Amino acid sequence: MKQYDLLIVDDERRFADMLAKRLNLRGCNCEVCYSGREALNIMERKNFFLVILDLHLPDLYGSEVLRRIKKVSAETPVIILTAHGTEKDRQECMKIGAFDFMQKPLVIEKLMAILAQIGEMAE
Amino acid sequence: MIDRFRKALSLIRPQFYRPDNQHLSPYFRFTDYKKIWGFGMLALGVAALLPLIAVTIIHYQLIQKSIDSEIILRTERVTSNARRAVTYFLDQHLNALRFTVNEFSYDQLKNSDHLKEILRNLKLGFGGLTDLSVIDNSGIQIAYAGPFKLEGKNYSNQVWFAECQKCEFYVSEVFRGYRNLPHMIVTVKSTRPDGKFFILRATLETERLINTLSSYKTGEYADIFLVNRSGVIQTPSINNGEAFKTITLPIPDYSPRTQTLMAADRQMNPIIMGYAFISTQIADTPFILMVVKQKEGMTKVWRQLHTNINTIVLFGIIAILIVITITFTFMVNKLYLADKENAETMASAEQTNQLASIGQLAAGVAHEINNPLALIGETAGYVKDLFFMEEQHRNDEELVEHIDTILESVERCGMITRQLLGFARKFDIKIQKVSLRQIISDVLIFHQKETEYRNISVHVDVPEDIPEIETDRGKLQQIMINLVNNAFQAMDNGCCLDILASHEVPENEVPENVKISISDNGCGIPEDNLEKVFQPFFTTKEGGKGTGLGLTITYGLVKKLHGHISVKSKEHEGTTFILSLPVRIKEEMSDNESSFGR
Repeated sequence: MKQYDLLIVDDERRFADMLAKRLNLRGCNCEVCYSGREALNIMERKNFFLVILDLHLPDLYGSEVLRRIKKVSAETPVIILTAHGTEKDRQECMKIGAFDFMQKPLVIEKLMAILAQIGEMAE
Repeated sequence: MIDRFRKALSLIRPQFYRPDNQHLSPYFRFTDYKKIWGFGMLALGVAALLPLIAVTIIHYQLIQKSIDSEIILRTERVTSNARRAVTYFLDQHLNALRFTVNEFSYDQLKNSDHLKEILRNLKLGFGGLTDLSVIDNSGIQIAYAGPFKLEGKNYSNQVWFAECQKCEFYVSEVFRGYRNLPHMIVTVKSTRPDGKFFILRATLETERLINTLSSYKTGEYADIFLVNRSGVIQTPSINNGEAFKTITLPIPDYSPRTQTLMAADRQMNPIIMGYAFISTQIADTPFILMVVKQKEGMTKVWRQLHTNINTIVLFGIIAILIVITITFTFMVNKLYLADKENAETMASAEQTNQLASIGQLAAGVAHEINNPLALIGETAGYVKDLFFMEEQHRNDEELVEHIDTILESVERCGMITRQLLGFARKFDIKIQKVSLRQIISDVLIFHQKETEYRNISVHVDVPEDIPEIETDRGKLQQIMINLVNNAFQAMDNGCCLDILASHEVPENEVPENVKISISDNGCGIPEDNLEKVFQPFFTTKEGGKGTGLGLTITYGLVKKLHGHISVKSKEHEGTTFILSLPVRIKEEMSDNESSFGR
């Protein structure tokens, strides 16, 4: 598997770290941050293959972060991964341009399948 | 005809008499409509009828009184007039005799020829005389003028002869005498030149008296006649018979004036009796004039009117009662229906509230659990990842199994929370043309083995004319899987499952629908539980075997597809789920299509 650069944005630090570790084990190269602004800063200096974004962030709401990400780097696919999502959130995010909307707890195989899909599309 | 009768009956037998709303009773504003109806009808009836009946009764009494006094007045007038006539008749003849006695000498009078001359003149002048005679003091008739040969008769032992000696003028009762015919006499006593008395006697025509009396008879119910003071009839009476009989009525007490009173005859029929003791200016008489009227006959016209009024009042009462019944029943029924509607709204609002709050709570819990659950999942997953990297642990089947158990449980919890939150990926809608027949047979394939093994007979009836529907195939399949699963779990071996589809052709504003009913003859659902089957976490399965979300999700899916689902069930007889789906989902729903895989 290719080494994908991923950005995980989630204020649940232990979850984010753990997810990063697991994805790293599967050959990804994950960067982790715990707030929206931090994520936007990171994205200004680096391109990612995929961003995994939580909705309930301490500084900015996930959908706002998504909107800004789309301005900075419209082609980067963003997957929303949240524990608190509502149908309205889902619709809004899909409208802004999220690649997918996933509910915690995550099944890693599904995420890997999406990664593979994006990989195929990217080729 | 029977329908019409039933319809009419339903007007009188209102809806609140059918106890079909037991479950709504706590929400009703009034509890006892039968009582309200009964009391209301009674109060209205009394209020409407009491014045009518009271007025009718008072009216009758007034009329009765005025009629009684009118009858009495009329009778009195007749009696009074007849009395005057009889008195005049007797007076006239007494005066005529007095004139004769004074005018002619005894010698002239005892001359029969002369007497005949006088009789002729009296007949000319007054009429009503039969004969005229002179009787000396020994009772011998010494002169006679008239149609009978009575000259020389001795009257000394006759009652009237004794009586007439006592006073100057005398009026006899009616008697038969020597001629053996009912007649009456008037006499005048006078003195002869030799100092002894003699009697001038005249026989009066009773016919004339009778005619006079009958001329006062008014109407067929009046009887007018004379009796003597001991009640012996003097002139013929209609109801009391011929002369010389004794009347059955009581003999009235003496009164100088005309009297009228109410009494009863021998047959106890009410009568009005007028009477007068006849007495002339110069002599008393033995006569009592009686006027007897049958009250029944006299009031016949009035009683006819009475019957008419009664009939009208009766019809009035019936009409009022009917109007009250219909109007009041209608109004109470309307009130009941409004209350029932209100109660239904309240009951359903309460149920919706309950469902909503359960849903909110569930969703809240799901939200809060998701984060720690995600962490558990990731941590366990990471541990598993680590194990797989090391040779010694990779083959430790027991460890891997334990971790897999944790991961499976996390996945199961995640599924529950996803279902609760109701927006997992599979809730997206993808509209495509779907064949019902295909979907049903696909679903049944899952159960083929179980069907054979459990000897369950499955009957599917999807008519040819059912159109393909535009809907989300996956969700419809899920709905069917859930419902068929549900049926299989409810059935014992050897039971039947019926899946029927029908097409509802659109009729004003009703959209085109297909209807699918899934019926089993399994254990059924108790009535108490019937309302709860779609509630989240409601399950009757033992110890954690069901999540209680299957039908909740089915319900949610059906709503997503703009459909409707309802359930009918009888315990121990079976359950039917009726699913109604639009043939075409409205356009705005397609916004929700997943952008996955663009």
